[in-house]
Amino acid sequence: MILTGSKIRDEIKTGNIFIEPFFDDQINPNSYNYRLGSTIKIFDGFDGEKAVFKEINIPEDGYVLEPRKMYLATTKEIIGSSKYAMSLIGRSSMGRYGLFLQVSANLGHTTSKHKWTLEIVAALPIRLYPGMIIGQVSFWKNFGTVKKYDGRYGHLNHPQESFVPLIHQNV
Amino acid sequence: MILTGKKIIEEVRKNRIDISPFDKERITTNSYDLSLGDTIIRYKSDIIDPRCKPSYDEIKIPKEGIVLKAGDFLLGHSNERIGSDFYVPLIHGKSGTARMGLFVHITADLIDIGSHGVTTFQLYATLPVRLYPGMLIAQVSFWVPFGDIVLYKGKYQNSTGPRPSMTYKDFKYDIFKNKG
Repeated sequence: MILTGSKIRDEIKTGNIFIEPFFDDQINPNSYNYRLGSTIKIFDGFDGEKAVFKEINIPEDGYVLEPRKMYLATTKEIIGSSKYAMSLIGRSSMGRYGLFLQVSANLGHTTSKHKWTLEIVAALPIRLYPGMIIGQVSFWKNFGTVKKYDGRYGHLNHPQESFVPLIHQNV
Repeated sequence: MILTGKKIIEEVRKNRIDISPFDKERITTNSYDLSLGDTIIRYKSDIIDPRCKPSYDEIKIPKEGIVLKAGDFLLGHSNERIGSDFYVPLIHGKSGTARMGLFVHITADLIDIGSHGVTTFQLYATLPVRLYPGMLIAQVSFWVPFGDIVLYKGKYQNSTGPRPSMTYKDFKYDIFKNKG
């Protein structure tokens, strides 16, 4: 079962859902709108065998993404839940511009709590602004006993590239 | 909990799920198949700026179809009007569509409870593909909500065709207001 907006609000109050900063006007009928953080990380080639990412602050007047590149960013909010599983996606308003906010990895594990890394791919050139409302997170009831999340990413608050090394190929 | 196809039929009959036109043949085990309408939108702006109203062309898909090149992004729409005040709809591609490398939404599968209208498809091709009006390209599933329901009253309500993004309206009312 997916939580309604009213239930999300109730569970923020009980502490079963954590969103910080939280603004009531970002609640939707069955999700919460999250905002884009202030930095973006861009793959910048290889140093020997090691993949290099450069991180930049998104200027107030925005940063233009190019199609067919992959960028990493984070949510502005720390988002988590001790009780519910999560699904983090984009908003329909950004999907209508062809902006992916994640690459087929929407599932957030119960008990993880952090600024989520966003895997951003743009189908069209698009300008993004720091702090803009860019996506939504929904909360889902569990069925069965919850085992605490002990993964490597679910506590990180910066845009974290994969711990799986990229392969350096001469192409 | 996700509704089964049989449950979707029951709820359409009780007017608790809106799918129109509705054809029982298009019910699957856990969803209902959606067909592509004949209107397409292509953005014209060199760079999309969410603060500004985007310019775009509206195109009719001819009977012989429209070809999307790899990397093309267009907005289409379902022929069916869908929505529910009792369940949460999710949009998915059909597996046959996905096997052609065609996205029908861009990380925006979730529809708000209380939202009614034809759905806008966010069509992104990873291979060259020809699309025909009326072809079945997507499916909608319905999920049981948990908690008190407050219905959607947003800016895309009662869409009758593909609807380009309206983020410029958010910026007009300043989404950053006093939020730091």
